[in-house]
Amino acid sequence: MIEIDHVSQMFQTSARQDHLALSDISLTVEDGAFVSILGPSGCGKSTLLYIVGGFVSPTQGSARMKGRAITGPGPDRGPVFQEFALFPWKTVLGNVMYGPRQQGVKTAEAEAQCRALIEMVGLKGFEDFYPKELSGGMKQRVALARTLAYHPEVLLMDEPFGALDAHTRTRLQNDLLNIWERDRKTVLFVTHSVEEAVFLSDKVVMMTRSPGRIREIIDIDLPRPRRRSELLLDPRYQKYVVDIERMFDEGGAQGGAL
Amino acid sequence: MTSRFIRGTRAAPWLACLGLLVLWQIAALALKNDSFPTALAAIRAIPLILGDKEALINILASQRRMTIGFAVAIIVSIPLGLMMGRSRAVASFFNPLLMVIYPVPKAALMPIIMLWLGVGDLSKTLVIFLGVSLPVIYHSFEGAKSVEEKMLWSGAAMGLSAAQRMVRIVLPAALPEILTGCRTGLVLALITMVTSEMIARQSGAGNILFNALDMGEYDLVFAMIIIIGAMGICLDAMFEALRARLVRWSEPQFDMPLSFS
Repeated sequence: MIEIDHVSQMFQTSARQDHLALSDISLTVEDGAFVSILGPSGCGKSTLLYIVGGFVSPTQGSARMKGRAITGPGPDRGPVFQEFALFPWKTVLGNVMYGPRQQGVKTAEAEAQCRALIEMVGLKGFEDFYPKELSGGMKQRVALARTLAYHPEVLLMDEPFGALDAHTRTRLQNDLLNIWERDRKTVLFVTHSVEEAVFLSDKVVMMTRSPGRIREIIDIDLPRPRRRSELLLDPRYQKYVVDIERMFDEGGAQGGAL
Repeated sequence: MTSRFIRGTRAAPWLACLGLLVLWQIAALALKNDSFPTALAAIRAIPLILGDKEALINILASQRRMTIGFAVAIIVSIPLGLMMGRSRAVASFFNPLLMVIYPVPKAALMPIIMLWLGVGDLSKTLVIFLGVSLPVIYHSFEGAKSVEEKMLWSGAAMGLSAAQRMVRIVLPAALPEILTGCRTGLVLALITMVTSEMIARQSGAGNILFNALDMGEYDLVFAMIIIIGAMGICLDAMFEALRARLVRWSEPQFDMPLSFS
Protein backbone atom coordinates (compact mmCIF):
# COMPACT_ATOMS: atom_id res chain seq x y z
CA MET A 1 0.00 0.00 0.00
CA ILE A 2 1.23 3.46 -0.88
CA GLU A 3 0.10 6.37 1.26
CA ILE A 4 0.60 9.95 0.18
CA ASP A 5 -0.07 12.21 3.11
CA HIS A 6 -0.70 15.96 2.68
CA VAL A 7 2.09 16.36 0.15
CA SER A 8 2.93 19.80 -1.24
CA GLN A 9 5.78 20.60 -3.57
CA MET A 10 7.30 23.99 -4.14
CA PHE A 11 9.77 24.74 -6.92
CA GLN A 12 11.88 27.75 -7.60
CA THR A 13 11.52 28.95 -11.14
CA SER A 14 14.52 30.23 -13.06
CA ALA A 15 13.26 33.74 -12.29
CA ARG A 16 13.66 32.82 -8.59
CA GLN A 17 9.96 32.85 -7.96
CA ASP A 18 8.28 30.20 -5.87
CA HIS A 19 5.98 27.98 -7.83
CA LEU A 20 3.56 25.67 -6.07
CA ALA A 21 3.47 22.49 -8.16
CA LEU A 22 1.47 20.27 -5.83
CA SER A 23 -0.85 21.42 -3.12
CA ASP A 24 -1.95 19.21 -0.24
CA ILE A 25 -2.26 15.87 -1.99
CA SER A 26 -3.47 12.88 -0.01
CA LEU A 27 -3.97 9.57 -1.76
CA THR A 28 -3.91 5.90 -0.87
CA VAL A 29 -3.10 3.26 -3.45
CA GLU A 30 -4.08 -0.30 -2.55
CA ASP A 31 -1.85 -3.25 -3.37
CA GLY A 32 -2.52 -4.68 -6.79
CA ALA A 33 -4.47 -1.66 -8.01
CA PHE A 34 -3.94 0.02 -11.35
CA VAL A 35 -4.26 3.71 -10.59
CA SER A 36 -3.94 6.48 -13.17
CA ILE A 37 -3.11 10.05 -12.36
CA LEU A 38 -4.80 12.15 -15.00
CA GLY A 39 -4.36 15.83 -15.52
CA PRO A 40 -3.36 18.64 -17.87
CA SER A 41 0.31 19.15 -18.52
CA GLY A 42 2.03 21.18 -15.86
CA CYS A 43 -0.29 19.97 -13.08
CA GLY A 44 2.50 18.27 -11.20
CA LYS A 45 1.33 14.71 -11.83
CA SER A 46 4.81 13.52 -12.76
CA THR A 47 6.22 15.23 -9.69
CA LEU A 48 3.82 13.22 -7.56
CA LEU A 49 5.15 10.06 -9.17
CA TYR A 50 8.76 11.14 -8.58
CA ILE A 51 7.94 11.69 -4.90
CA VAL A 52 6.65 8.13 -4.62
CA GLY A 53 9.76 6.98 -6.49
CA GLY A 54 11.93 8.79 -3.96
CA PHE A 55 13.61 10.83 -6.70
CA VAL A 56 12.19 14.07 -5.34
CA SER A 57 11.48 14.80 -1.70
CA PRO A 58 8.32 16.77 -1.00
CA THR A 59 8.47 20.26 0.49
CA GLN A 60 5.70 19.32 2.88
CA GLY A 61 3.97 16.10 3.85
CA SER A 62 5.24 12.60 3.37
CA ALA A 63 4.84 9.47 1.30
CA ARG A 64 4.91 5.96 2.74
CA MET A 65 5.27 2.57 1.19
CA LYS A 66 4.00 -0.32 3.32
CA GLY A 67 3.98 2.01 6.30
CA ARG A 68 7.64 3.01 5.91
CA ALA A 69 8.52 6.56 4.96
CA ILE A 70 9.97 6.91 1.47
CA THR A 71 13.39 8.54 1.73
CA GLY A 72 14.94 7.59 -1.59
CA PRO A 73 14.70 5.35 -4.65
CA GLY A 74 14.64 1.61 -4.16
CA PRO A 75 14.08 -1.58 -6.16
CA ASP A 76 10.63 -2.03 -4.63
CA ARG A 77 9.44 0.84 -6.87
CA GLY A 78 10.37 0.53 -10.52
CA PRO A 79 10.08 3.56 -12.80
CA VAL A 80 9.31 3.58 -16.52
CA PHE A 81 9.88 6.99 -18.07
CA GLN A 82 8.50 8.65 -21.17
CA GLU A 83 12.13 9.23 -22.23
CA PHE A 84 12.87 5.45 -21.96
CA ALA A 85 16.19 6.25 -20.19
CA LEU A 86 17.80 3.05 -21.48
CA PHE A 87 21.53 2.55 -21.10
CA PRO A 88 22.69 3.16 -24.69
CA TRP A 89 25.99 1.30 -24.21
CA LYS A 90 24.17 -1.90 -23.28
CA THR A 91 22.33 -4.22 -25.64
CA VAL A 92 18.67 -5.03 -25.08
CA LEU A 93 19.68 -8.07 -23.04
CA GLY A 94 22.32 -6.08 -21.17
CA ASN A 95 19.77 -3.43 -20.25
CA VAL A 96 17.23 -5.94 -18.99
CA MET A 97 19.87 -7.88 -17.04
CA TYR A 98 21.23 -4.76 -15.35
CA GLY A 99 18.84 -4.80 -12.38
CA PRO A 100 19.03 -8.53 -11.59
CA ARG A 101 22.83 -8.46 -11.89
CA GLN A 102 22.94 -5.49 -9.53
CA GLN A 103 20.95 -7.51 -7.04
CA GLY A 104 23.38 -10.37 -7.23
CA VAL A 105 21.42 -12.82 -9.36
CA LYS A 106 23.87 -15.20 -11.06
CA THR A 107 24.56 -14.35 -14.69
CA ALA A 108 23.17 -17.57 -16.15
CA GLU A 109 20.02 -17.39 -14.09
CA ALA A 110 19.49 -13.69 -14.81
CA GLU A 111 20.03 -14.29 -18.50
CA ALA A 112 17.41 -17.04 -18.67
CA GLN A 113 14.86 -14.90 -16.83
CA CYS A 114 15.62 -11.84 -18.92
CA ARG A 115 15.39 -13.67 -22.21
CA ALA A 116 11.94 -14.86 -21.16
CA LEU A 117 10.97 -11.31 -20.24
CA ILE A 118 12.21 -9.96 -23.56
CA GLU A 119 10.09 -12.56 -25.30
CA MET A 120 7.11 -11.56 -23.15
CA VAL A 121 7.35 -7.92 -24.24
CA GLY A 122 7.56 -9.09 -27.85
CA LEU A 123 11.20 -8.45 -28.62
CA LYS A 124 12.48 -11.96 -29.19
CA GLY A 125 15.31 -11.79 -31.72
CA PHE A 126 16.37 -8.29 -30.68
CA GLU A 127 18.42 -9.32 -27.63
CA ASP A 128 21.72 -8.16 -29.10
CA PHE A 129 20.49 -4.87 -30.57
CA TYR A 130 21.61 -1.56 -29.15
CA PRO A 131 18.95 1.01 -28.14
CA LYS A 132 19.87 3.34 -31.02
CA GLU A 133 18.87 0.57 -33.41
CA LEU A 134 15.33 0.33 -32.02
CA SER A 135 12.14 2.30 -32.67
CA GLY A 136 10.48 4.28 -29.88
CA GLY A 137 7.90 1.59 -29.18
CA MET A 138 10.57 -1.08 -28.98
CA LYS A 139 12.66 1.07 -26.65
CA GLN A 140 9.71 1.43 -24.31
CA ARG A 141 9.20 -2.33 -24.38
CA VAL A 142 12.82 -2.77 -23.35
CA ALA A 143 12.40 -0.19 -20.59
CA LEU A 144 9.34 -2.04 -19.28
CA ALA A 145 11.19 -5.38 -19.36
CA ARG A 146 14.22 -3.80 -17.68
CA THR A 147 12.05 -2.58 -14.81
CA LEU A 148 10.02 -5.80 -14.51
CA ALA A 149 13.29 -7.75 -14.39
CA TYR A 150 14.11 -6.69 -10.85
CA HIS A 151 10.62 -7.48 -9.59
CA PRO A 152 9.51 -4.15 -8.14
CA GLU A 153 6.35 -4.31 -6.07
CA VAL A 154 5.09 -1.11 -7.66
CA LEU A 155 5.44 0.11 -11.24
CA LEU A 156 5.72 3.87 -11.57
CA MET A 157 4.90 4.77 -15.14
CA ASP A 158 5.50 8.37 -16.16
CA GLU A 159 3.55 9.01 -19.37
CA PRO A 160 5.28 5.93 -20.76
CA PHE A 161 3.48 6.01 -24.10
CA GLY A 162 3.44 9.78 -24.47
CA ALA A 163 6.25 9.90 -27.03
CA LEU A 164 4.81 7.19 -29.27
CA ASP A 165 2.60 7.37 -32.34
CA ALA A 166 -1.08 6.45 -31.91
CA HIS A 167 -0.79 2.96 -33.38
CA THR A 168 2.23 1.96 -31.32
CA ARG A 169 0.63 3.48 -28.28
CA THR A 170 -2.49 1.34 -28.66
CA ARG A 171 -0.46 -1.84 -29.07
CA LEU A 172 1.64 -1.08 -26.02
CA GLN A 173 -1.46 -0.36 -23.95
CA ASN A 174 -2.89 -3.75 -24.93
CA ASP A 175 0.35 -5.53 -24.15
CA LEU A 176 0.77 -3.72 -20.84
CA LEU A 177 -2.73 -4.80 -19.81
CA ASN A 178 -2.02 -8.41 -20.77
CA ILE A 179 1.19 -8.42 -18.76
CA TRP A 180 -0.42 -6.67 -15.82
CA GLU A 181 -3.46 -8.93 -15.72
CA ARG A 182 -1.11 -11.88 -15.24
CA ASP A 183 0.63 -10.72 -12.07
CA ARG A 184 -1.36 -7.68 -10.91
CA LYS A 185 1.43 -5.52 -9.61
CA THR A 186 0.48 -2.18 -8.14
CA VAL A 187 0.74 0.40 -10.93
CA LEU A 188 0.80 4.16 -10.64
CA PHE A 189 0.34 5.47 -14.15
CA VAL A 190 0.66 9.13 -15.13
CA THR A 191 -1.08 10.22 -18.31
CA HIS A 192 -2.93 13.10 -19.90
CA SER A 193 -5.07 10.84 -22.07
CA VAL A 194 -8.57 10.21 -20.74
CA GLU A 195 -9.10 7.11 -22.93
CA GLU A 196 -5.80 5.63 -21.83
CA ALA A 197 -6.60 6.19 -18.16
CA VAL A 198 -10.10 4.67 -18.38
CA PHE A 199 -8.97 1.74 -20.54
CA LEU A 200 -6.18 0.69 -18.18
CA SER A 201 -7.20 1.66 -14.66
CA ASP A 202 -9.18 0.55 -11.66
CA LYS A 203 -9.12 4.09 -10.39
CA VAL A 204 -8.56 7.44 -12.05
CA VAL A 205 -7.23 10.33 -10.00
CA MET A 206 -8.18 13.59 -11.70
CA MET A 207 -5.96 16.54 -10.99
CA THR A 208 -6.44 20.25 -11.46
CA ARG A 209 -4.14 22.56 -13.31
CA SER A 210 -1.37 24.19 -11.32
CA PRO A 211 -1.17 24.13 -8.42
CA GLY A 212 -1.99 20.46 -8.73
CA ARG A 213 -4.71 19.28 -6.41
CA ILE A 214 -6.81 16.16 -6.48
CA ARG A 215 -10.09 17.08 -8.04
CA GLU A 216 -11.91 13.81 -8.10
CA ILE A 217 -11.17 10.12 -7.73
CA ILE A 218 -13.23 7.91 -10.00
CA ASP A 219 -13.52 4.15 -9.69
CA ILE A 220 -13.57 2.53 -13.09
CA ASP A 221 -15.94 -0.36 -12.72
CA LEU A 222 -15.32 -2.25 -15.94
CA PRO A 223 -14.82 -6.03 -16.16
CA ARG A 224 -11.39 -7.59 -16.59
CA PRO A 225 -9.70 -8.95 -18.55
CA ARG A 226 -10.39 -5.99 -20.79
CA ARG A 227 -10.27 -6.29 -24.53
CA ARG A 228 -10.03 -3.09 -26.49
CA SER A 229 -12.43 -4.26 -29.21
CA GLU A 230 -15.14 -5.03 -26.65
CA LEU A 231 -14.43 -2.09 -24.41
CA LEU A 232 -14.66 0.58 -27.09
CA LEU A 233 -18.21 -0.57 -27.81
CA ASP A 234 -19.15 -0.77 -24.14
CA PRO A 235 -21.47 2.14 -23.21
CA ARG A 236 -20.07 2.14 -19.67
CA TYR A 237 -16.55 2.79 -21.01
CA GLN A 238 -17.87 5.52 -23.28
CA LYS A 239 -19.72 7.10 -20.40
CA TYR A 240 -16.61 7.19 -18.21
CA VAL A 241 -14.61 8.87 -20.96
CA VAL A 242 -17.31 11.43 -21.74
CA ASP A 243 -18.00 12.18 -18.07
CA ILE A 244 -14.34 12.75 -17.27
CA GLU A 245 -13.82 14.93 -20.32
CA ARG A 246 -16.90 16.94 -19.40
CA MET A 247 -15.65 17.39 -15.85
CA PHE A 248 -12.35 18.78 -17.14
CA ASP A 249 -14.22 21.11 -19.50
CA GLU A 250 -16.49 22.39 -16.74
CA GLY A 251 -13.48 23.04 -14.58
CA GLY A 252 -12.84 26.10 -16.73
CA ALA A 253 -10.22 28.39 -15.33
CA GLN A 254 -10.05 26.52 -12.05
CA GLY A 255 -9.85 22.97 -13.32
CA GLY A 256 -8.34 23.65 -16.67
CA ALA A 257 -8.93 21.79 -19.92
CA LEU A 258 -6.70 18.97 -21.09
CA MET B 1 28.31 0.89 -55.22
CA THR B 2 29.01 0.48 -51.53
CA SER B 3 32.27 -1.37 -52.15
CA ARG B 4 33.49 1.26 -54.56
CA PHE B 5 32.53 3.91 -52.01
CA ILE B 6 34.52 2.13 -49.29
CA ARG B 7 37.53 1.63 -51.56
CA GLY B 8 37.42 5.32 -52.44
CA THR B 9 37.24 6.24 -48.75
CA ARG B 10 40.25 4.07 -47.96
CA ALA B 11 42.37 5.47 -50.76
CA ALA B 12 41.50 9.10 -50.11
CA PRO B 13 43.97 9.84 -47.27
CA TRP B 14 46.85 8.27 -49.23
CA LEU B 15 45.94 10.29 -52.30
CA ALA B 16 45.90 13.43 -50.17
CA CYS B 17 49.38 12.71 -48.80
CA LEU B 18 50.72 11.93 -52.25
CA GLY B 19 49.20 15.13 -53.62
CA LEU B 20 50.80 17.14 -50.85
CA LEU B 21 54.23 15.63 -51.57
CA VAL B 22 53.89 16.34 -55.30
CA LEU B 23 52.92 19.97 -54.60
CA TRP B 24 55.84 20.27 -52.22
CA GLN B 25 58.24 18.83 -54.78
CA ILE B 26 57.07 21.23 -57.47
CA ALA B 27 57.12 24.25 -55.16
CA ALA B 28 60.61 23.44 -53.90
CA LEU B 29 61.93 22.95 -57.42
CA ALA B 30 60.37 26.23 -58.51
CA LEU B 31 61.60 28.28 -55.54
CA LYS B 32 65.13 26.87 -55.49
CA ASN B 33 65.61 28.01 -51.90
CA ASP B 34 68.28 26.37 -49.68
CA SER B 35 66.02 26.38 -46.65
CA PHE B 36 63.25 24.64 -48.58
CA PRO B 37 64.48 21.24 -49.74
CA THR B 38 62.46 19.11 -52.14
CA ALA B 39 60.14 16.43 -50.84
CA LEU B 40 62.42 13.76 -52.24
CA ALA B 41 65.46 15.18 -50.45
CA ALA B 42 63.53 15.25 -47.19
CA ILE B 43 62.30 11.70 -47.63
CA ARG B 44 65.83 10.56 -48.47
CA ALA B 45 67.03 12.09 -45.19
CA ILE B 46 64.55 10.09 -43.10
CA PRO B 47 66.76 6.94 -42.99
CA LEU B 48 69.64 9.14 -41.80
CA ILE B 49 67.65 9.94 -38.68
CA LEU B 50 65.99 6.57 -38.15
CA GLY B 51 69.28 4.78 -38.81
CA ASP B 52 71.09 6.78 -36.16
CA LYS B 53 71.12 5.08 -32.78
CA GLU B 54 71.33 8.28 -30.79
CA ALA B 55 68.49 9.86 -32.72
CA LEU B 56 66.36 6.80 -32.08
CA ILE B 57 67.10 6.96 -28.36
CA ASN B 58 66.08 10.60 -28.46
CA ILE B 59 62.81 9.88 -30.21
CA LEU B 60 62.02 7.01 -27.86
CA ALA B 61 62.72 9.27 -24.87
CA SER B 62 60.25 11.77 -26.33
CA GLN B 63 57.64 9.12 -26.75
CA ARG B 64 58.15 7.84 -23.22
CA ARG B 65 57.58 11.31 -21.79
CA MET B 66 54.57 11.78 -23.97
CA THR B 67 53.06 8.45 -22.96
CA ILE B 68 53.59 9.09 -19.25
CA GLY B 69 52.30 12.67 -19.43
CA PHE B 70 49.26 11.59 -21.44
CA ALA B 71 48.46 8.61 -19.22
CA VAL B 72 48.75 10.51 -15.94
CA ALA B 73 46.70 13.37 -17.38
CA ILE B 74 43.89 11.02 -18.37
CA ILE B 75 43.90 9.20 -15.04
CA VAL B 76 43.58 12.51 -13.17
CA SER B 77 41.39 14.47 -15.59
CA ILE B 78 38.58 12.04 -16.33
CA PRO B 79 37.50 11.56 -12.68
CA LEU B 80 37.88 15.29 -12.03
CA GLY B 81 35.85 16.24 -15.08
CA LEU B 82 33.13 13.73 -14.25
CA MET B 83 32.84 14.97 -10.68
CA MET B 84 32.67 18.56 -11.91
CA GLY B 85 29.91 17.55 -14.29
CA ARG B 86 27.80 15.98 -11.57
CA SER B 87 28.41 18.35 -8.67
CA ARG B 88 27.84 22.04 -8.91
CA ALA B 89 30.05 22.65 -5.86
CA VAL B 90 33.02 20.82 -7.37
CA ALA B 91 32.48 22.62 -10.68
CA SER B 92 32.35 26.08 -9.17
CA PHE B 93 35.52 25.35 -7.20
CA PHE B 94 37.62 24.15 -10.12
CA ASN B 95 36.13 26.19 -12.97
CA PRO B 96 37.92 29.49 -12.22
CA LEU B 97 41.23 27.67 -11.74
CA LEU B 98 40.90 25.90 -15.05
CA MET B 99 39.72 29.00 -16.87
CA VAL B 100 42.91 30.74 -15.78
CA ILE B 101 45.13 27.91 -16.99
CA TYR B 102 43.24 27.05 -20.19
CA PRO B 103 44.26 29.96 -22.44
CA VAL B 104 47.90 29.96 -21.30
CA PRO B 105 50.09 28.18 -23.84
CA LYS B 106 51.52 25.36 -21.76
CA ALA B 107 54.93 25.74 -23.38
CA ALA B 108 55.02 29.30 -22.05
CA LEU B 109 55.14 27.83 -18.56
CA MET B 110 58.16 25.75 -19.53
CA PRO B 111 60.85 28.28 -18.49
CA ILE B 112 59.37 28.62 -14.99
CA ILE B 113 58.87 24.91 -14.58
CA MET B 114 62.47 24.40 -15.73
CA LEU B 115 63.63 26.78 -13.03
CA TRP B 116 61.85 24.70 -10.41
CA LEU B 117 62.28 21.18 -11.68
CA GLY B 118 65.31 21.39 -13.97
CA VAL B 119 65.58 20.63 -17.67
CA GLY B 120 65.05 16.90 -17.27
CA ASP B 121 62.17 14.54 -17.92
CA LEU B 122 60.05 15.78 -15.06
CA SER B 123 59.58 19.31 -16.42
CA LYS B 124 58.76 18.14 -19.91
CA THR B 125 56.38 15.46 -18.71
CA LEU B 126 54.64 17.99 -16.49
CA VAL B 127 54.11 20.34 -19.42
CA ILE B 128 52.68 17.52 -21.49
CA PHE B 129 50.43 16.60 -18.55
CA LEU B 130 49.14 20.18 -18.39
CA GLY B 131 48.56 20.32 -22.12
CA VAL B 132 46.55 17.11 -22.17
CA SER B 133 44.59 17.69 -18.94
CA LEU B 134 42.47 20.65 -19.92
CA PRO B 135 40.67 19.33 -22.98
CA VAL B 136 40.13 15.99 -21.24
CA ILE B 137 38.70 17.69 -18.13
CA TYR B 138 36.53 19.93 -20.25
CA HIS B 139 35.07 17.15 -22.37
CA SER B 140 34.58 14.82 -19.36
CA PHE B 141 32.80 17.69 -17.63
CA GLU B 142 30.52 18.33 -20.60
CA GLY B 143 29.86 14.62 -21.05
CA ALA B 144 28.97 14.08 -17.40
CA LYS B 145 26.80 17.18 -17.29
CA SER B 146 24.63 16.03 -20.16
CA VAL B 147 23.92 12.55 -18.79
CA GLU B 148 20.16 12.15 -18.72
CA GLU B 149 18.80 12.48 -15.18
CA LYS B 150 16.24 9.73 -15.72
CA MET B 151 19.03 7.31 -16.60
CA LEU B 152 20.57 7.94 -13.19
CA TRP B 153 17.18 7.60 -11.55
CA SER B 154 16.71 4.26 -13.25
CA GLY B 155 20.05 3.15 -11.83
CA ALA B 156 19.17 4.45 -8.38
CA ALA B 157 15.92 2.46 -8.45
CA MET B 158 17.95 -0.66 -9.20
CA GLY B 159 19.91 0.00 -6.05
CA LEU B 160 23.09 1.60 -7.41
CA SER B 161 24.79 3.87 -4.87
CA ALA B 162 25.98 7.34 -5.84
CA ALA B 163 29.53 6.07 -6.38
CA GLN B 164 28.31 3.14 -8.45
CA ARG B 165 26.18 5.46 -10.57
CA MET B 166 29.28 7.56 -11.23
CA VAL B 167 31.38 4.61 -12.40
CA ARG B 168 28.71 2.49 -14.04
CA ILE B 169 26.37 5.07 -15.55
CA VAL B 170 28.00 8.50 -15.80
CA LEU B 171 31.34 7.14 -17.04
CA PRO B 172 29.99 4.95 -19.86
CA ALA B 173 27.30 7.47 -20.82
CA ALA B 174 29.91 10.23 -21.09
CA LEU B 175 32.49 8.01 -22.78
CA PRO B 176 31.98 9.24 -26.36
CA GLU B 177 32.52 12.82 -25.19
CA ILE B 178 35.45 11.82 -22.96
CA LEU B 179 37.16 10.10 -25.88
CA THR B 180 36.70 13.20 -28.04
CA GLY B 181 38.62 15.07 -25.35
CA CYS B 182 41.29 12.37 -25.22
CA ARG B 183 41.76 12.59 -28.96
CA THR B 184 42.33 16.33 -28.76
CA GLY B 185 44.59 15.64 -25.78
CA LEU B 186 46.65 13.18 -27.78
CA VAL B 187 47.37 15.72 -30.49
CA LEU B 188 48.19 18.32 -27.83
CA ALA B 189 50.52 15.82 -26.14
CA LEU B 190 52.51 15.60 -29.36
CA ILE B 191 52.58 19.37 -29.78
CA THR B 192 53.65 20.07 -26.20
CA MET B 193 56.21 17.27 -26.44
CA VAL B 194 57.93 18.96 -29.36
CA THR B 195 57.66 22.50 -27.99
CA SER B 196 58.95 21.48 -24.56
CA GLU B 197 62.03 20.01 -26.23
CA MET B 198 62.38 23.12 -28.28
CA ILE B 199 62.72 25.15 -25.07
CA ALA B 200 64.63 22.65 -22.96
CA ARG B 201 67.09 21.56 -25.61
CA GLN B 202 68.56 18.47 -24.09
CA SER B 203 67.09 15.43 -25.78
CA GLY B 204 64.12 14.34 -27.81
CA ALA B 205 62.57 14.64 -31.23
CA GLY B 206 62.22 18.41 -30.94
CA ASN B 207 65.89 18.67 -30.07
CA ILE B 208 66.94 16.79 -33.21
CA LEU B 209 64.78 19.13 -35.27
CA PHE B 210 66.21 22.31 -33.82
CA ASN B 211 69.79 21.06 -33.82
CA ALA B 212 69.44 20.37 -37.51
CA LEU B 213 68.00 23.84 -37.97
CA ASP B 214 71.00 25.38 -36.19
CA MET B 215 73.36 23.46 -38.43
CA GLY B 216 71.47 24.51 -41.57
CA GLU B 217 70.70 20.88 -42.46
CA TYR B 218 67.33 21.65 -43.90
CA ASP B 219 66.61 18.25 -45.40
CA LEU B 220 67.05 16.79 -41.92
CA VAL B 221 64.71 19.44 -40.51
CA PHE B 222 62.01 18.50 -42.97
CA ALA B 223 62.67 14.80 -42.53
CA MET B 224 62.08 15.25 -38.81
CA ILE B 225 58.89 17.18 -39.48
CA ILE B 226 57.69 14.27 -41.61
CA ILE B 227 58.59 11.81 -38.84
CA ILE B 228 56.72 13.83 -36.21
CA GLY B 229 53.75 14.18 -38.54
CA ALA B 230 53.77 10.45 -39.20
CA MET B 231 53.85 9.80 -35.46
CA GLY B 232 50.80 12.00 -35.09
CA ILE B 233 48.90 10.20 -37.83
CA CYS B 234 49.79 6.77 -36.44
CA LEU B 235 48.83 7.68 -32.90
CA ASP B 236 45.58 9.20 -34.04
CA ALA B 237 44.74 6.19 -36.19
CA MET B 238 45.47 3.83 -33.31
CA PHE B 239 43.39 5.91 -30.96
CA GLU B 240 40.56 6.13 -33.46
CA ALA B 241 40.52 2.34 -33.84
CA LEU B 242 40.31 1.95 -30.06
CA ARG B 243 37.64 4.64 -29.79
CA ALA B 244 35.51 3.08 -32.49
CA ARG B 245 35.56 -0.23 -30.62
CA LEU B 246 34.67 1.35 -27.29
CA VAL B 247 31.76 3.50 -28.41
CA ARG B 248 30.36 1.60 -31.35
CA TRP B 249 26.99 1.77 -29.59
CA SER B 250 26.87 5.54 -30.00
CA GLU B 251 28.19 5.95 -33.53
CA PRO B 252 25.98 7.56 -36.12
CA GLN B 253 25.48 5.33 -39.14
CA PHE B 254 27.78 7.26 -41.45
CA ASP B 255 30.82 8.63 -39.77
CA MET B 256 33.30 10.70 -41.70
CA PRO B 257 36.62 9.72 -40.17
CA LEU B 258 38.49 12.92 -39.54
CA SER B 259 42.10 12.68 -38.56
CA PHE B 260 42.26 15.96 -36.70
CA SER B 261 39.83 17.11 -34.06
